[in-house]
Amino acid sequence: MTRWGMAIDVRRCVGCQTCTIACKQEHGLPADVAWRFVADCEVGEYPDVRRVFLPMQCMHCAEPPCVPVCPTGASRQRDDGIVWVHYDACVGCGYCAMACPYQARHLIHTAAGYFEQPTPSEAAQAHPERHGVMTKCTFCKERVDDGLAHGLRPGVDPDATPMCAVACIAGAIVFGDLDEVSSCVSRLAADPRAQVLMPECGTEPRVYYLAD
Amino acid sequence: MATVTTAPRMEMIPAQRQELWGWPAVVNFVLGGLGAGWYVVAVLAAGFERSPGVTAASWAAPVLVLAGFAAVAGEAGRPLRGPRVLTRLRTSWMSRELLAGIAFVLLVAADLAFPLRLHRAQAMVAAVLLALAQGFMVRRARGVTAWDVPLVPVLFLLSALLSGSGAHLLVGALAGRAPIPAVIGGTLLLIVVSFVVWARYLAWTSEDAYRRAVAPLREGRSAVLIDGAGYGLPLLLGLLALAAPPVAGALTALAGALLVAGQAYAKARLIRAAGRLRPITLAIPLSRRRSS
Repeated sequence: MTRWGMAIDVRRCVGCQTCTIACKQEHGLPADVAWRFVADCEVGEYPDVRRVFLPMQCMHCAEPPCVPVCPTGASRQRDDGIVWVHYDACVGCGYCAMACPYQARHLIHTAAGYFEQPTPSEAAQAHPERHGVMTKCTFCKERVDDGLAHGLRPGVDPDATPMCAVACIAGAIVFGDLDEVSSCVSRLAADPRAQVLMPECGTEPRVYYLAD
Repeated sequence: MATVTTAPRMEMIPAQRQELWGWPAVVNFVLGGLGAGWYVVAVLAAGFERSPGVTAASWAAPVLVLAGFAAVAGEAGRPLRGPRVLTRLRTSWMSRELLAGIAFVLLVAADLAFPLRLHRAQAMVAAVLLALAQGFMVRRARGVTAWDVPLVPVLFLLSALLSGSGAHLLVGALAGRAPIPAVIGGTLLLIVVSFVVWARYLAWTSEDAYRRAVAPLREGRSAVLIDGAGYGLPLLLGLLALAAPPVAGALTALAGALLVAGQAYAKARLIRAAGRLRPITLAIPLSRRRSS
């Protein structure tokens, strides 16, 4: 059974936001929407202070609180664990965003461009089906599915791997099958230093973070 | 030399105010609760019989509930897909809220057309379910610190009954009907119970994120308007009304207005001011750099 997951090595992240831009470009996101971003965090108090870059995105939880609350069934979870939104079924009520503890869902009100008129690139990447509905990181499921259909291995072959992991300049983002013991992501997830965000929420995130 | 000393759970991204559910959502919660509570109180006060109070509530409450739904539909990104909201009754409290609201409106309409105690009882059950569904809907919003509290459904139910009592007393007084002491007494009891639950909710946990989230509900102007004008003053006015029957009408009218306004304000503050998304935390060890 495949269970897609991700490991993010916070110690490697340099906060360059390349993953943010790669995601926006891959999915043609409007100007005010980013499905992932890197938070620049200063933690602690003097003299015990650290600066940490924390990449944030959908955690593709095993127990996603966003799915059962959805009144239309638009928020869904695949057998491989990927949580996604069926745009044609979404009413845009925002309930799933209220249920998500990770601030990972984004309602696209208007597809604002970067300029007064859409650039040719923006016009070519327009997604009218996303207007007025909830959107989120999909683990680049189209890339994963296409890659699998062509015999590629997600997490190993770049063409079958989420764009953020491919674009990361520091190798901080690792994607793969958590159920495949030999995969890099499962080894990282099993590392004693690996942790998930806010385990007290009981959502069982499938994105692991490696801190010191 | 760097020595790892601790690995505390650090707040990486601070709590931020939710912006998706705005005033239309507030209107839905306020009007839905008010309509449901008013009908329940009116029917209970009349002992399930037809009365002028029940008739007033029967006409006004469905309008209030439907106005709330209309307001919140306007906030949705794709309101024309609204009927789809009924498709996930097994898991979503938003679906259940809509179903309870529709059932309530239809049952009240049935009672107006064909007056029956059975219709009134069924409509009352639907009204209670509507108020509870709104509470559970908010409670299941796990991303909002101040909403993800088991007490919230009870809070919403009591708020609905309290604001409904207020509307019942206010409309009755305006219509020139003498307030019934038992109804005033019941309202006073409800005020006390609701205030105890409200106070318990505000002190639900000592976690820092929660205390910061509910701070807008228990400090400054909110404390004066919710605790003072919304609970304390109506309690005092109700006691005075029991002690001085000649002026009871005016006193209960004022108390009723304060109850409606106080609960509306409390819900608005709960959704808007206290609606803060959970802070994102991570266990990060801090390093202490020693001089030798």
